[in-house]
Amino acid sequence: MNPITTAPPPTLFTPTPDNWKLAIMIGLIVAVLAMILLPPAVSFWSVGAMAAMVAASFVVNAYRRYYYGGLLVAPAIAVLVVMNIFPLLWSLGLSFFAYQSNQQTIRFVGLANYIKVLADELKAPENWANLTNTAMFVVLTVTTQMIMGFLLALMFAKQFPLRKYLLILVLTPMMLSVVAAGVFFSYYYDPTFGLLSYFIRIFSGQQFILMDNKAGAVAGIVFADAWMWSPFVMLLVLAGLVSVPKYLYEAAAIDRVSGWRQFWSITFPYIRGLLMLALLFRTIEAFKMADLVILLTKGGNGTMTISYHLIRIANEQNKTSEGAAISYVMLFIVIVLTNLYLYIANRRTVEPAHE
Amino acid sequence: MSETASMWEKLGFRKASGVSEAGWGQTLFAGLISLIYFLPVLLIIITSFKLQTEALAIPPKFIPTHLFGLIPDAYVFTPTLENYTSVFSRSMTAGAAAENTGFDRYFFNSIVIASVSVFLALIIGTLAAFGFSRYPLKGNDTYLFVILTTRMLPAIVVIIPVILMFRITGLSGSYLGIIMLYTAFNLPFTIWMMKSFFDELSLDVEDAARLDGSSDVKVFFKICLPQVIAGLAATFVFGLILTWNEFLFALLLTGVDTRTVPVGMSQAVAGGGIGVLWGLLAAIETLFLIPVFFVTFFLQDHLLRGVTFGTVKR
Amino acid sequence: MTAITKIQGLATAAGFALALAVGGANSASAEDVVLHMAVPDWPPTRIMKDMFDKEYKPTSGNKVTLDVDFIPWPDFYTRVNASLTSGEKKYNMAVSDSQWLGAFIEGGYFRKINDLIDADKELKKAMDGMHPIVLNAYSTYPNSTPNYYGFPQFPDLLVSYARKDIFCNDDEQKNFKAKYNKKLPCTGEEFDNVDWDLFGNIGEFFMRKKGEMLAGKPADDDFYGVAFQVGKGYDFSTTSVHTFVWQAGGDIWDETKAPNGHAMGQVNSDVAVKALNHMLSFIKYMPPVAKTGTMDIFKSDELFRAGKVALNVDWIGLGEASLDPKSSKVADKLVFGMGPGTKGADGKINHTSQIGGQPFVLTTWNTDVINKEAVGFVKWWLSKDVQMEYASKGGQSAIKEVYTDPKYNTFRPWNRAWASQLDWQKDMWHIPQFFEILTQQQDQYDLAITGKQDAKATLDNVAKFQEDLLKNAGLIK
Repeated sequence: MNPITTAPPPTLFTPTPDNWKLAIMIGLIVAVLAMILLPPAVSFWSVGAMAAMVAASFVVNAYRRYYYGGLLVAPAIAVLVVMNIFPLLWSLGLSFFAYQSNQQTIRFVGLANYIKVLADELKAPENWANLTNTAMFVVLTVTTQMIMGFLLALMFAKQFPLRKYLLILVLTPMMLSVVAAGVFFSYYYDPTFGLLSYFIRIFSGQQFILMDNKAGAVAGIVFADAWMWSPFVMLLVLAGLVSVPKYLYEAAAIDRVSGWRQFWSITFPYIRGLLMLALLFRTIEAFKMADLVILLTKGGNGTMTISYHLIRIANEQNKTSEGAAISYVMLFIVIVLTNLYLYIANRRTVEPAHE
Repeated sequence: MSETASMWEKLGFRKASGVSEAGWGQTLFAGLISLIYFLPVLLIIITSFKLQTEALAIPPKFIPTHLFGLIPDAYVFTPTLENYTSVFSRSMTAGAAAENTGFDRYFFNSIVIASVSVFLALIIGTLAAFGFSRYPLKGNDTYLFVILTTRMLPAIVVIIPVILMFRITGLSGSYLGIIMLYTAFNLPFTIWMMKSFFDELSLDVEDAARLDGSSDVKVFFKICLPQVIAGLAATFVFGLILTWNEFLFALLLTGVDTRTVPVGMSQAVAGGGIGVLWGLLAAIETLFLIPVFFVTFFLQDHLLRGVTFGTVKR
Repeated sequence: MTAITKIQGLATAAGFALALAVGGANSASAEDVVLHMAVPDWPPTRIMKDMFDKEYKPTSGNKVTLDVDFIPWPDFYTRVNASLTSGEKKYNMAVSDSQWLGAFIEGGYFRKINDLIDADKELKKAMDGMHPIVLNAYSTYPNSTPNYYGFPQFPDLLVSYARKDIFCNDDEQKNFKAKYNKKLPCTGEEFDNVDWDLFGNIGEFFMRKKGEMLAGKPADDDFYGVAFQVGKGYDFSTTSVHTFVWQAGGDIWDETKAPNGHAMGQVNSDVAVKALNHMLSFIKYMPPVAKTGTMDIFKSDELFRAGKVALNVDWIGLGEASLDPKSSKVADKLVFGMGPGTKGADGKINHTSQIGGQPFVLTTWNTDVINKEAVGFVKWWLSKDVQMEYASKGGQSAIKEVYTDPKYNTFRPWNRAWASQLDWQKDMWHIPQFFEILTQQQDQYDLAITGKQDAKATLDNVAKFQEDLLKNAGLIK
């Protein structure tokens, strides 16, 4: 950027609006005093006001010194800290205590919850089994979605009559609420009332029970989930596909480049980032899968996922700390996985992706 | 390219990828696939016109007319609009007078809450994405990753602290609270998505504009933003769909006055001790589908026009 | 709109503060009191709210409003639990499943009401006039001690729903007699006397394939003999298993015997294993969805209403829908009897079964004024006339002088079976560990129901889990 003369940073005790160091000091002192002296409802607001003051001084500081990055990012970070990161840190803290949300006692237990969740002779096997099931669902649903989404996107990549109207039909499943979709899929799969059973019966003469074994139950859930979310992948891939400049294909056609090579050297670089994004978000969502399982099988027939287990632990049984520990184990796994994705993706960028 | 025209192309299929033209053959093929794909939704819509006793009939009653005697009786249902009126007003106990179900309010709430929070997320998120893309901070990737991690945990984990926080701040049951929460909920996706679009833009055009004396603000609005309309549209659609159907936060953090449709929908899932009210559930879902359906449909043009500038990646 | 809501909120808060101040000073001037109540959204609570709005006149002279939050059943526990445990202090009253009492009382959310009962003769009379088993199940914690917490809102229990048109058909009657040398039940009284052997015969007898004759007509679809809840959700198999175990003379872990009772040896006794096997033996006569582990109370009811099942055992709380031709294909073909039982050596039938239904409770943060108005409301609610009207609209009452009134049985076709079955009810547990025990045994029963594990192994696992858990909790020595 253009070299602009920036003001020198103020010394610690100069009371200027951009002196964030001073703001932090004052903020800390006031916040601690407020928490000790004032009733909770008032101290909460005092702490909030101090946080706002510190944030404001950061912003002024960034503004005066042309840290555009910081300025642009600040509002997003602020919203996320208040609404997401703070509650997450709170549960992280709780995972080191013995605490149940329906009891008034709280006791520091260090890593005991994590040990219980991962190694306890009674609890751990169940957790590991649920994690294995979840991994299975992640692999199956995400793979199916990526393939289906990609194929659908290829189908719609070309301009053809009525394309607009057909595309919206394919996009509709992901607009459904999971509750309605889940309930209706339980009807489609029902052996007595269900359409699946009805159509199979026309050929076999027997009622068809899809969900009475693990393979069937898993297939049922994976199908419903993939059906709902393939359009998500499709739309991302499609957004990439249509952004490929046409002249590149024209040039390739003149050079008589093969279709396969055309795809890898021209098309793929444009959709790589978006594919990654689709993969990333679908993996994260798949790890959290619980709704469909609850609606379709209640976790029976080997379809119990860690996320459903977590709902039982943290909500039904109010074991807040144990739930927090499970979720942070989950988070660790997802972080490792997503980092792996990002690592692979970034490694690919270093290589010359295309000419 | 006509010199390599094969039989497939004559039939309307084209092998070349990219935004090229294809004919009615492609329409036929895509139409078939799309219809199959749409079938489960279509069945929900059909169910919304059926009475409770006909909804589960076997063989399935899938058509409201005999088509001049072509369709046997067993497959024909008597269409009714009763489910749609029941969404807004019905009697809650046997024999009682019909009363308001609150769904008019739920629909209003859903529209206000979802649209405001998605717009907010889009504004805040696009600015942040531009920041992350053009003015990388120290530890840029770490920030981005931390933002992503907020989406990784099931909502149930954060619910107790969030409820406590809402109670202390008086946000519980207010529009502001749930809107802020949904804005935060939408931000990670918005930021990541928009950043990937900004990253794809060519810097040459922007640099050229700067050399011509355009300010950074002008570069952003006049050059960068128009190029990522497709991204904005896609992000808006996704954000809207996710927020529209969010359930857990809505269940626990909205009051009677701010309740949204997905929460009210459970009325029809175990409707007053009757189990699933199929027709009613289908009618609610169909009505609830309409707004997002049309928003998506109208944004679709933007979605597909793509990046208009002839840019080459970096 | 937000501003209005806020102002209303402020006004309410001010009202509370005022109520607190004025209530302490024992003033007689009229006030506005709002009772916030969390209830599941279904007819019994809708009727209560409707009657309150139309008929209730508080004797205190205050203006009392009942602000009811109707929450759909599937989300009811989640919502109430989150509200209570987060310390939101939003509700003054709540409907609660009786089994949730322990957790919420130990957490300090539900108020003990002994002092309120003792201070008020009318209320005491109403509580004394209640069926003791219902009162015990819905009110006491620790169970069967004189510590009261709840008032019955809707006493629910299991009855047989049967198809008159099929059971009373002459051909079917004749063929059944020929095959089993038993009379196929047809009237409500005859259904009262159905034991599990006869139940099994009925199940086997009415299994018909599509096109086979059923009550003089070819069946338009596969038809099934019997249905009852054997699902994995909530308590949808526990209810059935407990009923079988109790009738067979076995027992579950008995909370009233803590800390001297045991789960090991009791829960997995030979009698219990036999009882579970007995229950499992009926699944083959049920619609195939039972094999998937999702045959819950709603599914079996739905199958019955769609005319796919001859005999269904379900809560009467779901009964209204089966009488309504809009939701039921069998509305005019119904007969109700007591749930099936086990014939003892003396020829009498043991009808012991798991009680359902819900009490409602007061919360601990209520001010005196709120409590006073709440008690006023409860007294009105439990008075004979009001309970009679409630019953006439489809509710149930556990108050003796109501359900013994000759008119009571005319209100709904199942009321006769309902009242005569009250004496046979038992409840499971009210301890705070309820959900943990329930979830684990539901998972285990599901394995048995879907044929992945035998009854013995299932009950061994359940017993071991309960023994360990309850030992840690100090409930087993």
